[in-house]
Amino acid sequence: MPALAPRIHEVPDDLLAAIDFCYEQGWTDGLPVVPPVVDRVKSMLAAEDRPPDTVIAHHPATGLDLSLHAAAVNAVMAGCLPEYFPVVVAAFEAMDRPDFNFHGSTASTGGSAPLLVVSGPYPDRIGMNSDVNLFGPGNRPNATIGRAVRLILRNVFQMIPGISDKSTQGNPGKYSFCIAERSRGNPWPPLSEAQGYAKGVSSVTVYAGGGFCNVENHGGNTPEQILGSVADAMANYGCITLGQSVVILAPEHMRIIADAGWSRERTQDYLFAQAKRSVDGMKSVGKYRDREYDQQHGDEAHELVEPGFMHRGLRPDDILVTMGGGDAGGHSCFIPSWSRGRGSIMQHAPILAGANTQRD
Amino acid sequence: MQLYSPLSTTPKRKAFRAPALATIDGMRIGILENGKLNAEEMLNEVAALFVERNGCTVRMLASKKNASAPAPANTLVKVAQEVDFLITGLGD
Repeated sequence: MPALAPRIHEVPDDLLAAIDFCYEQGWTDGLPVVPPVVDRVKSMLAAEDRPPDTVIAHHPATGLDLSLHAAAVNAVMAGCLPEYFPVVVAAFEAMDRPDFNFHGSTASTGGSAPLLVVSGPYPDRIGMNSDVNLFGPGNRPNATIGRAVRLILRNVFQMIPGISDKSTQGNPGKYSFCIAERSRGNPWPPLSEAQGYAKGVSSVTVYAGGGFCNVENHGGNTPEQILGSVADAMANYGCITLGQSVVILAPEHMRIIADAGWSRERTQDYLFAQAKRSVDGMKSVGKYRDREYDQQHGDEAHELVEPGFMHRGLRPDDILVTMGGGDAGGHSCFIPSWSRGRGSIMQHAPILAGANTQRD
Repeated sequence: MQLYSPLSTTPKRKAFRAPALATIDGMRIGILENGKLNAEEMLNEVAALFVERNGCTVRMLASKKNASAPAPANTLVKVAQEVDFLITGLGD
């Protein structure tokens, strides 16, 4: 059945009344939105070279589609500028893959939010923050790109809190959860290159994040000390599962690791090997399951898996690790996955904007 | 002022319920468990009540690898051929 034409509402020429109208329609995340006036939506769509009715994501549970047009309307409401739109589009193209399972991660009691990690030159081009107060407020693209994702989940896919979004507690990232990877002073190749994109091509990684865990360490001076505290956070009894991980290292911590010559791969190996709990310990808190142990220790077990222990994840490359945040402070973070197993796997997609608009 | 609606333009999907069984006495039961802790135990308990009270027989236990994703189509097709009704639900 063909899509319906986008509906237009006539409202009085009064900005505050229009904001109130959006509240009355149930279109907001609780904060005021920018009224999606027709001209602004058209400007947003001008950042895309495909027809507005192009479907970029599909929700299997409801059969609802996300068109570029609907994405643009919600991006306007979130406060995005047109140059941010390619990031929103790429994020949903990545989330649309079945392995991401955006229905489950949004509907679940787990209360996750899609974390976006934007890598490559594009974040700098649009003024994203990868530096001080990385996860905090104050930067328009970070705040509004993440917010656009939430508004699309709510308005287009009808993931309504309390009805189809059954998060027990949710998390603050459900308002917005979007960062840029810090390139300044980063000793490792950008994530976009590690993901196989050509130099100069930017990417967005999407990850169903279950919250935010600060890892403070101002006394450690070796990679083992710094990463030991990160691994301990990853393996705390409240978080340890077979799910994936995101670790954002503070520049102070990264300097210690890089000065010792550690690569991203060596760091992942170390974290995977150390982020573990004994079987007896898992049993003591009621979280041990034979099925999960067998999944991790079976024929395809990674060589770093240790008998008698449950590690976090299945292998080292389940851990996305990079750098972000301000120069000062020994504060890294670990973000647990919503998925306790393999129910949601992080995905990435290229940001096709400007010189990179060529599509397959 | 003209505002675009932010909702999906997908036409509303028509949903149909399966017709109710005339009776559940003596029917064949399938169980679809979602892999979560205690799901299988809870569903087996429910099935046992149908066996005890209605003379049903449990013919099949199917599992989903991913609790929050729809059951694969081939799982549902297979189950539908062998049972009269299916018990499923969230365990955790």
